Amino acid sequence: MTIERIDGCIGCGTCVKTCPTDVIRQDPKTGKAVIMYPADCQICHLCRLYCPVDAITISPEKSIPVVVSWG
Amino acid sequence: MTENNPSTGVSRRKFMALAGGAAGFAAMAAMGISARDAACSVNIPEIDPEKVATAESETDVLVVGSGIAGLFAAVKGHDAGARVLMVSKGRLGASGQTPFAKGIFAYDPAREKLSLDEFVDKVSRSAMGTNNPVFTRQMAAHSLARVRELEAWGFFDSPLYFDAFSRPITERGIPVMERIMITHLIKEKGRIAGAAGFSIDEATVHIFKAKSVVLCSGAGGFKPNGFPICDLTHDGTVMAYNIGAKVTGKEWNDGHPGQTTNAAACYDGWHGMFGRKPGRTGVEVHHDLGVEMNYQAYMAGNPLAGGPLGQNRGGQVSGGPYRPEGFDDRGGPGGPPPGGGPKEGGAPPGMGGNPVGGSSAGMAIHKSEGLVPINADGASTIPGLYAAGDALGSYMAGAIYTQIGSSLAGSAVQGGIAAEAAAAYAKGQAAPEIPTRKRLQVQEEILAPLKRERGYGPAWVTQTVQGIMIPNFVLYIKKEPLLTAALAYVEELRDHHMPMLRAADLHELRLAHETANMILNAEMKLRASLMRKESRCSHFRLDYPEMDTKNWNAWINIYKGKDGSMKLEKQAFGSWPL
Repeated sequence: MTIERIDGCIGCGTCVKTCPTDVIRQDPKTGKAVIMYPADCQICHLCRLYCPVDAITISPEKSIPVVVSWG
Repeated sequence: MTENNPSTGVSRRKFMALAGGAAGFAAMAAMGISARDAACSVNIPEIDPEKVATAESETDVLVVGSGIAGLFAAVKGHDAGARVLMVSKGRLGASGQTPFAKGIFAYDPAREKLSLDEFVDKVSRSAMGTNNPVFTRQMAAHSLARVRELEAWGFFDSPLYFDAFSRPITERGIPVMERIMITHLIKEKGRIAGAAGFSIDEATVHIFKAKSVVLCSGAGGFKPNGFPICDLTHDGTVMAYNIGAKVTGKEWNDGHPGQTTNAAACYDGWHGMFGRKPGRTGVEVHHDLGVEMNYQAYMAGNPLAGGPLGQNRGGQVSGGPYRPEGFDDRGGPGGPPPGGGPKEGGAPPGMGGNPVGGSSAGMAIHKSEGLVPINADGASTIPGLYAAGDALGSYMAGAIYTQIGSSLAGSAVQGGIAAEAAAAYAKGQAAPEIPTRKRLQVQEEILAPLKRERGYGPAWVTQTVQGIMIPNFVLYIKKEPLLTAALAYVEELRDHHMPMLRAADLHELRLAHETANMILNAEMKLRASLMRKESRCSHFRLDYPEMDTKNWNAWINIYKGKDGSMKLEKQAFGSWPL
C-alpha cells in the first residue's frame, strides 16, 4: 500500500487539493479524507507534508498490478 | 486491471443526475454535502454525461499550470496590465515538478568568476552545441531578479511552496481555478481563441475565451516509478500539436535512475529531500543526467546486488555515450534533482541503495522538449500561443543537464517573459469568439470516454504503453529494429485503443486524457529517435554511436501534417523556425 492510514483527519481538504495525482477524496458523509485511488499514488508525501495535523501515514511499498491481456 | 471506481451495484448507465448549477447543488445538499466548502472534492460516483454543465470564463491571458513558470507568468502578465486567469490540473505550488525542486540557480555577477559570456560558452561546450544560447543567456541574466522576488515572498522559508506562491497571487487578486484539466486549445481564424477542459470535482466542462494562452504545463513522462511526475503527461505539448503548433526535443532522455528497493517510492528514493527548504545555487556547469548508466547496464547486465556496473563499481564497459572534454563524470549515479542540487544538505537522489534505470521514463532533459519557440519570448508557431518552462522546447540547457538549479530558474524567467509578451499581444486583439459548433465538438471530445458503454480502461492502456516504451533497450539504448517494432505497437494503441478509452468517473476521465497524451508522446519519441541517426548528449543510438556534426547540428521539430499524420523536420542549431 502507498498511503496506509489517515488517522485523526479534521476534514480540512488540504490533502485532497495537494495530491498531484488525485488519490485522496473526502467522504461525502463524514467530510473526512479517504484513500480513493491508491493505484495512482506516486509516494511523493506532499499530502503528509501539507497535512496540518500530521494524520497521514505512508509506506514506501507499492504493489505492482497484475498484467492482464486486456483491460 | 480493475476500474478505479469502487462503486458497485449501479449500472453505469443508471445515472445520478448531478448536473451543475442549482440542480447539482440540490443533489449535493441531498447527499449532505455543502457546495461551499471543500466537499466538492467528493467523487461523484455516477455522472450523466448528457447533463454535464458548461461554465465559461473570459480573460486576456490564460495561464495553464501552477508551478513556478505559471506563478511568474500570472504575476508578470498581471503587472503588464493584462487580465490574467490561472487554471491548473492541481494546486498552486503543489503540482508538476516545482514542489520537488529544491535548488534554484541565481547568476550573481558580483559573486561569480565566470562572465555571462563565459557561462553561456561553457554550457554550449557541455551541451555539444545542442543548446539555444539565447535562452541560456536569458535564464542567467534574469535569474537573480526572480530569486530576489521569491525571497521576498517567503519561498526560501518553507519546504512547501503554496504559501509563498499564494502571496503575490492574492495581493494582485489574480483568479486561480484549480483541479481543472485543460485538454484542448482552441484556435479560430489562425489565432488562439481560448482553451477547454473539465473539472475533476464537478460535472462541468470549462470553456475559456482568451486572447492569448501561456502554457506552463510542464513536460511529462509515462507515469514512471520513482520520479514525481505522474501528474505530468505532456498535456501542453499534445494540445498544441493538435492545433498545428510545432513541438521539439522528443529524442532526448532524462537519465535519472531510481533505486532497486521500493522503486516507486519517490520520497524515499530522494531521501526526504522533498521535505527540505529550497536553496540557491551558483555557477556549476556539468554534463549530467545522460544515459551512460543505461549503457553500462545494457552491456554488462546488473550485478547480483542490483543496479548497473558503473563508476566506482569496477568493470566499467568501454564505449557508449561520448562525454565532452572537461566535463568529467562526477562519479556514481544520481546527478541533480529536477530543478536543482541538494544544496540544503542531505544525500542526493539515487545515491542510497542500488540504482535502476528509467525512473523518469518518457521525459527529456529539462527544457529540451516542448513547443518550438519562434523567438526569445517563447511565442509558438500559433499566434497568441506562448509556452514557458518545461512546456517550452527552449533548449536552455541543451540536450543534457548543464547548470544545477537552472531548471527552476529558467522556468521562473521564461514564465515572466512569455506572459509579458502575451499581455502585449492581447492588447491588440479583440475579444475572441468561439463558435457554438466548435464548443460542442470540444465538449463531445472531452466527455467521450465517459459516454462509452465499453472500451479500455486508461490504467491498463497506460500499463501497456509503459511495457512497450520503458525497457532500456527501447527508450535509452536505441537501435532501428526495436524503435520500429515499438512504433508498430504504439500505432496500434493510437489507432485502436485511444479511440476506445473509457472512464467511469471524473478521476478516470483525467486518466483517459492523460493516457491519450502519453500515447502521442510515445509516437513522437520513437519517430524522432529513429530520425536522429547519430548519438549526442542524452540520445544514444547503438547503431549510430558517433556524433555527426555534418548532418545533425539540428533540432527535430514535429508537427501534424495536413493529412493528420505526424511530420518531422530539421531546424538548424542557432536558427528560428521559418
